[in-house]
Amino acid sequence: MPKTPSITATTRERTGSRYAQRLRKQGRLPAVIYGHETDPMSISVDEKEMLIHLKHGTHVLSLNVEGGSKETCLVKELQFGYLGDNVIHVDFARVDLDEEVHVHVHLNFVGEPASARKTGAILSHDLTELEVICKVNEIPDEIRVDLNLMEEATVLTVGEVPLPPGLRATAHPGTPVAHISFVHKEEAVGEEVEVVSGAEEPEVITEAKPDEAESGEGGTST
Amino acid sequence: MPSMPKRIKFRKQMRGRLKGNATRGNYVAFGDYGLQALELHWVTARQIEAGRIAAQHFLRRQGKVFIRIFPDKPISKKPLETRMGKGKADTAYWAARVKPGTMLYEIAGVPELIAKEAFARIAHKMPVRCRFVRRRLAV
Repeated sequence: MPKTPSITATTRERTGSRYAQRLRKQGRLPAVIYGHETDPMSISVDEKEMLIHLKHGTHVLSLNVEGGSKETCLVKELQFGYLGDNVIHVDFARVDLDEEVHVHVHLNFVGEPASARKTGAILSHDLTELEVICKVNEIPDEIRVDLNLMEEATVLTVGEVPLPPGLRATAHPGTPVAHISFVHKEEAVGEEVEVVSGAEEPEVITEAKPDEAESGEGGTST
Repeated sequence: MPSMPKRIKFRKQMRGRLKGNATRGNYVAFGDYGLQALELHWVTARQIEAGRIAAQHFLRRQGKVFIRIFPDKPISKKPLETRMGKGKADTAYWAARVKPGTMLYEIAGVPELIAKEAFARIAHKMPVRCRFVRRRLAV
């Protein structure tokens, strides 16, 4: 278990999108702390410092909130901006270090299986993170997946990934983590097929078929 | 061959209006890297196919290309030298509605530099400004 990093946070006296926007312009990241049947607290943290921890896969942080209180928190949720990549808000959940939690841990793939070196083989990662149940003080920053374990096999499943002690995966053991597929035909790679305009038209499901249309007309004319 | 729906409920659609940003399909979900649209536009089935071919020719047999948009909007066009009226014209082509933030393509299984070059080739075929993006932070 890596050492719990500690960051300082200041309480937000005024909440709402306008005030949150002003904080972001000052390099602060709006956040909230909730959980453990205590009142939620609106806070802000330093954006750069927070992003560094998130990029390193940190899940648990020790927050020194201005005013003296110290909270051990799990990063529960991130909110992203309109282009979907910049973090605009963080949710922290209060946790005890020996409490069991569900977390998504990043998978770090290393090595190259023998079957991936064959001609036309494409190695695909089906999962990039794995949901695990573990104690807060046992959450790893990442799970190392050695692809050499696959050897000649074409699929690596969740059950075959060795997890650090104390971790249980929530996914079914048969769920694929990585697989190798083979490209057989030469023309399957980026060849354009000649298009005959109007050759294909989608089926219109609400349109009456010719037989039905005729019978329908007969029925209404009487 | 450009893609189009297999079954539709109605043959023709009203034009509609594009506005706002993408709230869905705006992050890298399947691959390692993605090409994200920064403008709104209709992207035709031919343009989508041209992008796929450009990427796959460059990548050869490496990696996997995911297309994240689908042309499900029929666009009708009156033939040349036709008088106005006489009803709505037949479907000329199919298009996907693209808003700022929409992930257009994703690539998996190749190094970042190769993915960047492949996306540069796709971006030349697109009617919108695009940018290269990586997988976003996850907790």
